[in-house]
Formats: sequence, structure tokens, C-alpha cells
Amino acid sequence: MRERAGSRNGDHDRAAPAIRVNGACKTYEGSDRPALLPTSFTVGRGEFVSLVGPSGCGKSTLLGMIAGLLRPDAGCVEALGRPVDGPGEGRAMVFQDAALFPWLTVLGNVEYGLRAHGVGRAERRERALEAVRLVHLDHVMDRRPHELSGGMRQRASIARALVMRPDILLMDEPFSALDAQTRTILSDELQRIWLETRPTVVFVTHNLIEAAFLSDTVHLLSSGPGRIVRTYDVDIPRPRDEADPALLDLRHDMLERLRAEVDDAAARRAQVAEVVDL
Amino acid sequence: MSTAAGGADAAGGRRARASRGARALVTGFLRRSWFVLLILLVWWLVTAAGWVDPYKLPSPGDVLGTLGTLLTERALLVDLGATLLRLVEGWAIGVVAGVLLGILTGGSRVLEDGIRPVIAGLQAVPTIAFLPLAILWFGFNGTAVLAITAFGTFKPMALATYGAMHQISPTLLMAGRALGARGLFLQRTLVFPAIVPSLVTGLKMGWSFAWRALMAAEIVVTGAAGLGGVLELGREIGAIDVVMAVILVILVVGIATEQLVFARLERWVNRRWGLVGAR
Repeated sequence: MRERAGSRNGDHDRAAPAIRVNGACKTYEGSDRPALLPTSFTVGRGEFVSLVGPSGCGKSTLLGMIAGLLRPDAGCVEALGRPVDGPGEGRAMVFQDAALFPWLTVLGNVEYGLRAHGVGRAERRERALEAVRLVHLDHVMDRRPHELSGGMRQRASIARALVMRPDILLMDEPFSALDAQTRTILSDELQRIWLETRPTVVFVTHNLIEAAFLSDTVHLLSSGPGRIVRTYDVDIPRPRDEADPALLDLRHDMLERLRAEVDDAAARRAQVAEVVDL
Repeated sequence: MSTAAGGADAAGGRRARASRGARALVTGFLRRSWFVLLILLVWWLVTAAGWVDPYKLPSPGDVLGTLGTLLTERALLVDLGATLLRLVEGWAIGVVAGVLLGILTGGSRVLEDGIRPVIAGLQAVPTIAFLPLAILWFGFNGTAVLAITAFGTFKPMALATYGAMHQISPTLLMAGRALGARGLFLQRTLVFPAIVPSLVTGLKMGWSFAWRALMAAEIVVTGAAGLGGVLELGREIGAIDVVMAVILVILVVGIATEQLVFARLERWVNRRWGLVGAR
């Protein structure tokens, strides 16, 4: 059985789902409109779930709550059977802009979380090398982030999260700052990595195709106020191909749904325009 | 025949290139130093013509001669060494204290709200105003001077550290926390390295504040060795060539530390932190 960094305490409930969100809602200070209406869903162990929708739909708010970086106003969020009250504990996060430490090399960045957990030097190096190889960055592991392309930086950021052997991998629009080609390549890579390591993933994106391509389950969110409007199960066998007609059909359905959901014509145009990207 | 001509051409080309390079060097030097040369010329003319009393303004040659004598007699070197040692010590104490306080209070809202206005208020008081206090506490000696130097560095350093703390990217902090960094580990491995580029600017500023405070204090507290003491002695015995020679030494030390230490440090940090393109 695979050892996980978060399992050292060893007392989480094996039967519980990876994530349970129960009636969580959020209104930000100084705003009269809720960012997220009470929302509930669960994510099974080893499941790949996407939260997709236009900006302001509360998808990043939801992810922040699961990460333990934000507190819901009401309701609760559980990870691995325990209430979330802060970051860590088997959850690792990948940010939109990679958020690598500029003063550390790729390898140094990947080792950082292990250092924070007091893992010894030799084991640290070994696990970091393994993670760096997994994302195909072994040839640049001694470079610093500013010497890397955007795609490489995001790979490094994924390695930095995976090295923790997280039960849950949280990804906040990890590919949205990349050009279309790099994005396609990294989506493919992420599929391969997920098939190899099988963590539970919550993936936030505004790209419908990306969400459908990667996920077992897609929660479609709409804004003003943020809420889940529909949930899709994607039963297409893996490894998948982004050009699969079934994925394009699914994308079409999601677009229609989003159109129907937003009454105001101008708001609809804006929201739909945002999720229609290739 | 033709080869000989070709060889001559090549040699001519090399000579032409070399002379072009030499000319560029000379014009570059002239462009940056014409004003200094002009000042020296006017200075020399004024003194050579005897328009001013040499006790008010000695000639450039006299000042250089005095400087030479002072340096060969070693006495000035002892004073220079004492001053530099005090400068480095006071500056280092001020830097460490300022950075520690900056990080400590920058990380806590309560501490910051209480302490920051006090430091900002103290920064409004010229450091030298605290010299009488330092003399009463530490005595009329080098310790008082050192304390003033350290204090002069401490204030801008603490303020620079606060400023830097507020510029740390929140995403970077979130990334660190999400990876399990907290407490002292977070401060040591994330907060501190993140503020280093801004600290380098603070170090430079602290150095110039340290210099000012040190010189002012040394001129008053003349018991121990130091350039300030030599300046004051020069004034007492009316040796204006000594005074001007010491000012020259101070000028050279200032330029040298800027070019040899801080400029290099800044380049190194910018390269290492990936700020080369950004600046």
C-alpha cells in the first residue's frame, strides 16, 4: 500500500468520502451579494472532480474552503472524515500562477513541503527526484523558477504538491495562465499522472472542455450568486482524447445549461463568453 | 605581395579597432568626470593665483600631499580602521535588530499597530539628537558612538523590513502554509527569503544612515581613535589640509563600498531571485 504524508497520524476514517461539503456558504466582507449560496456535494476517494464556471461563480471560494484557507460562513467542510480547520493534513494545492519560491531551485521547491514536515535529507531528496521525474523536469531541476517557461513552472508546482503524496490534490485554475498548446499538453500529462498516482482531485477551471476531459464528475457553477447548477458524470473510459466527440457533446450540453440558467441577457453573454474558450 | 598587403591591412584594422576602443574609453571617462576635473582646475587656479588665504583653502596638491603623509605615517590608517570597524559593528547590530523587530511586528497586527508609529516617530528625530543621551548612558567613549551608529541603522532597517513584509505575495504565503510551513519554519524559510530583495535596498540605506550618525558622533566624542576625531583635531589646530584630506578619505570609502559591496550584492540578489528582467 502506498504511504502518504498525511497518513502518518493514521486515524482518519477510511470509510468516509475524501471530501464532504455540507451547506457551505460565503459572503465576503463588504459585499451585499453572497459569493456562494449554501452548497453540498461529496467527492469519493480517488475521484477526479471539476468545479467549472465563469468568474464569480464561487468555484475558487469552494476550493479555498476545502483547502482550509477560507472559512465558510455556515455549513461545514470535511476532508477524510475530519472537519477542515486549516491547510495541510493530506491536502496539497496547486495555484494558478504556480506560486513557486523564486529563491529556490526546482528541486528545492519540490522538497519544501517535506522540509516543513521534518522529513530527513536523504528521503527528501529521493522523493523529490521521483516527483520531478514524474512531471518530466529532471533536466531542469537545478534551475530557478524565472529560468523556466510557464508550462515548466506549473509542472514544478504540480511536483511540489505530489511529493507530499496527498490524499487530496486541490488545483486552482492551474492551466489558465498558459497558452493553448501548453495547456493541452499539460492536461494530457495531468491525466497520465492521475492514472499513475490516483489521488483525489478537485480541479477548478473555467474551461468546459478541460473539465470534461479530466473529470469523473463535473459540477457546473453559475454566478450571481454562485451556486452549483448541474452535475455531470463523465463515463468516457481513460485515457481520453480531447477531440473525442462525446466530450464535445458534453461541452455543448453544459453551455446550453449555463445559458438557460442565467436570465439576464447581458450577464448570460458575459458568462458564456468566458467559458467558451478553446 | 598581395599577402603582405593583406597582412598590413589586418594589422591596420587591429590598430584601428584598438584605437577606437581606447577612444571610447577616454570619451566615457571624460563624459563622467568632466565636472570633477573642472572643479579641480578651478580649485587649483584659485589657490595658485593666491586669491584666497591658504588657511581657508589649501591647494589640491597640498591636500594630496598631506593625505600621502597621513597615510604613510599610519596614524590615519589606525583611525580609518577604528572608524570602519565601528561602522561595520554598529551597522550589523542595527541591521539584525531592525530586521528582527520588523519581521516580528510585521507578522502581528497588534504589535505592528503599537510599535510601527513609534519607530516612524523616532525616524523623524535625527539620530545625533540622541548622542547626549548615549553619552550619559554609556560614557564619553566609543560605546556611545557605537550605540548611536547602531540606532541610526536600526530605524530605517526596521521600517524597510515592515515595508517588505507587506509586499510578500499572499499566494506565496498560502502556498507555503498549504505545504505545512508554519511558525518559525515559515518565518525562516519563506518570509525571510521573500523579503531579501527589499532588504538589500534597506541595507544600503542603513549603511548611509550609519555613516552619518557615526561621523557626527565621532566629531563630538573624540576620546577614541576615528576619522571624526581627526576631523575635529584638524579644526582645533587649524590644519585645513588635514580636514580636507579626511573628507577625501570618507568620500573614497563611500564610493568604494557602494561599488564593491552593495552594487555587487544587489546584482547577485537580483540574479538569484530572478529580478534581472523585472528591473
